Amino acid sequence: MNMHTLMFGWEYPPHHSGGLGVACQGLVRGLMKNGVHVTLVLPHNQGIPEGNMDMRFPTDELCETVQVESLLQPYDTFGEYDARLQITNLPRESGALYGPDLGQAVENFTAMSIAMTKDVRADVVHAHDWMTFEAGRRAANYHGKPFIAHVHATELDRTNFSPNTWIAERERNGLLAADQIIAVSQYTKNLLANHYGIPTDKIRVVHNGHDQKAALTQPLLMTKYGDEKRPLVLFLGRLTVQKNPWQFLEVAKRVHDVSLQVQFVMAGDGGMLSELIDRTCELGLEDSVIFTGKVQGREIDALYKRADCFVMPSLSEPFGLVALEAIAHNTPVIVSKQSGVAEVLDHAFKVDYWDTDMMADCLLTILREKPLADQLKAEAPRILTRLTWKNQASKVSSIYRDIIQS
Amino acid sequence: MNTNTNICFYFQVHQPYRLRDLRITDIGAEQDQTYFDEEKNRAVFRKVAEKCYLPANALMLELVNQYPHFRIAYSLSGVFLDQCEEYGPDVMESFRALARTGKVEFMAETYYHSLSYLKSLPEFCAQVSKHVARIQELFSQTPSIFRNTELIYSNEIAQVVRLMGFKGILAEGADRVLNGRSPNEPFVPPEFRLPKNKEMTIAKFRPLEKKSDDIHVLLKNYRLSDDVAFRFSDKSWVGFPLHADTFTDWLMQTGGNNINLFMDYETFGEHQWADTGIFDFVRALPAIWQERGIHCATPSQVIDNWQSIHENVIDAHTFVSWADMERDLSAWQGNKIQDAALASLFALESAVKASKNPDLLETWRKLSTSDHFYYMCTKYWADGDVHKYFSPYDSPYEAYRRFSHALCDLKLRVEQPKKKQTKSKLKQKSHS
Repeated sequence: MNMHTLMFGWEYPPHHSGGLGVACQGLVRGLMKNGVHVTLVLPHNQGIPEGNMDMRFPTDELCETVQVESLLQPYDTFGEYDARLQITNLPRESGALYGPDLGQAVENFTAMSIAMTKDVRADVVHAHDWMTFEAGRRAANYHGKPFIAHVHATELDRTNFSPNTWIAERERNGLLAADQIIAVSQYTKNLLANHYGIPTDKIRVVHNGHDQKAALTQPLLMTKYGDEKRPLVLFLGRLTVQKNPWQFLEVAKRVHDVSLQVQFVMAGDGGMLSELIDRTCELGLEDSVIFTGKVQGREIDALYKRADCFVMPSLSEPFGLVALEAIAHNTPVIVSKQSGVAEVLDHAFKVDYWDTDMMADCLLTILREKPLADQLKAEAPRILTRLTWKNQASKVSSIYRDIIQS
Repeated sequence: MNTNTNICFYFQVHQPYRLRDLRITDIGAEQDQTYFDEEKNRAVFRKVAEKCYLPANALMLELVNQYPHFRIAYSLSGVFLDQCEEYGPDVMESFRALARTGKVEFMAETYYHSLSYLKSLPEFCAQVSKHVARIQELFSQTPSIFRNTELIYSNEIAQVVRLMGFKGILAEGADRVLNGRSPNEPFVPPEFRLPKNKEMTIAKFRPLEKKSDDIHVLLKNYRLSDDVAFRFSDKSWVGFPLHADTFTDWLMQTGGNNINLFMDYETFGEHQWADTGIFDFVRALPAIWQERGIHCATPSQVIDNWQSIHENVIDAHTFVSWADMERDLSAWQGNKIQDAALASLFALESAVKASKNPDLLETWRKLSTSDHFYYMCTKYWADGDVHKYFSPYDSPYEAYRRFSHALCDLKLRVEQPKKKQTKSKLKQKSHS
């Protein structure tokens, strides 16, 4: 008989703000390809179910009947709430989706976790990141099934190791309650062991996958992004501490000192935008750095394609799907050693996130040496044939099997 | 009771000059900057000296003195000898002590342990000549046997080396050239003439006085060699633990005229650590061999003693080597960065030589060492791990980053005087 997983997710494309939604979708699709039946519970009704998956979210009726506890620790100010939205991966506009308060949204979701899933006959309960851990734990308890906590990012990654204690506490409780933890990288596994004190034998690593999108007919670039004859270096990600965009500018400065030709594009939105623009001017890079704001879909594809090199300087990156995206577009990449994706990439430069000089040097070498760029372009994408979501989900499915049998 | 089978031991001794963490900002910075990581090179040399060269040489000296029929051969790369001078006079002295026994043969190779054969015949001849002169100077013997870098071999190399004056050359006993035959006899290459211009080039740069009329090829018995070099301490291997008498049984069962055991000298104490018992294993061999009447022969002795009416022809149209599973050139050439690196290096040859600047030439030659290209290897299968094990760098791309910076700077240094010249010429013109 096919296995059945009851999954608690937080976001699902097309409505998503970061890697979590993409990874969740990839995994769900991959599990279904492996013959696993999936019931996915989301906090909002914006996901679009596909295949024979069972997608659920709180209905108005349910909200009325389920008693939601009020938060033990309400937030003081609107600013703090705003800040919390920032650090939890969510774009500002999604606030509406979760009510006036993210913490409250998590509480609502948690409170309804059992009511929404009473009729589900699953073999395992699987929850993605701290927002869903308590919901997953309660449901697992109610159904008497094993609870799997899947870690895509920790509070430490998002905050440069200065965690919000309320979130970190929920995260830790979820991890301790889990029967099995899946980490998206060895890097994250080590972090969970070293900073959360989780025994390593409880954690299994399943790297994220990447599914090649069907080739788009005409990639669309809204603007040309400067002179097409000049080399272009791309950063793509939220402009937050974790993604280390500040470092990208420092690298740009070093490169600029050697070659005025190179152009830099910072694609993405986030709380650091205005200080990054100020810094760009301070460094005298206003003619070389372009801020795109939030980019989507075809424009992202076009940017990856146009770029001569992609740089991911993250401070602490549990995985880093963007690097795989760049590789899928035949773009050479330089990634932070403090990332999960560095574990699966053979054909890339891997540099400590703080090593500005080395990052600039690798970048300039790629731009100067065509054979090097050509080789990175030719060799790097091979990993994608192995890292499909179908393959990665089969690892998750065997984790299910192991835990059901134990 | 004497057997007719001789054991032919050859050990390769080599250390490359590893590159330092050069940066783009170093390019064109100083006239006489070094590209090499002196600290690292010294540290590696001393580590290997303590673990391998010194204890292994002491053991070999003891065995050579004690057993009249124990003989061995070495090939010491020129860059290894240079490092001996810089970092290990004690190691140098221990090799000279071995040479003084008269029972140790030293072979010729390219001074820089280079891939020069693949790119430039004059440079290849020059590097071999330089090596022969160095061996003569240090050990008072003239090599008569040649071994090319990593046993890279082909029909043509054999003829080239014959014309250079050598009577023997070593090669890998790869299955695809043996076609089921035993490697345990001397072979000859197919006879043919080289193009006139090549013959003239060789005659011009010949390291030895006159060409040799014929040449024999000694093939590595890779199964028995690798039993010692790679598998000795492998607990999952059926032969583990390997004892000297068992190994001797295997040698005798194999039979033939000469069993060629060719390996890296670092096998003793570095690849196989002392606590695996590798030194005890070697120490036990000559006693057992003496008891059973088995003699050793150096490569030149094997060839001198070889009397046969018919000769076995070994036909290597394409290159064979002792590297990786493929036993071809793919450890050093084949991916884009390896090919580009070697091509751009040799693109500088004529300019470097025209500069008449000995420092530039020396630096350029040090960059021709095969290890630089080995570190850039990105082959997918299991041998990738071997390359990783031997590489001092994080990745093949790091190897290329450093190498390409070195080359950029070298190019600048070669071109700069020219620029000055043209500038002064221009000045003269404008004055006139």
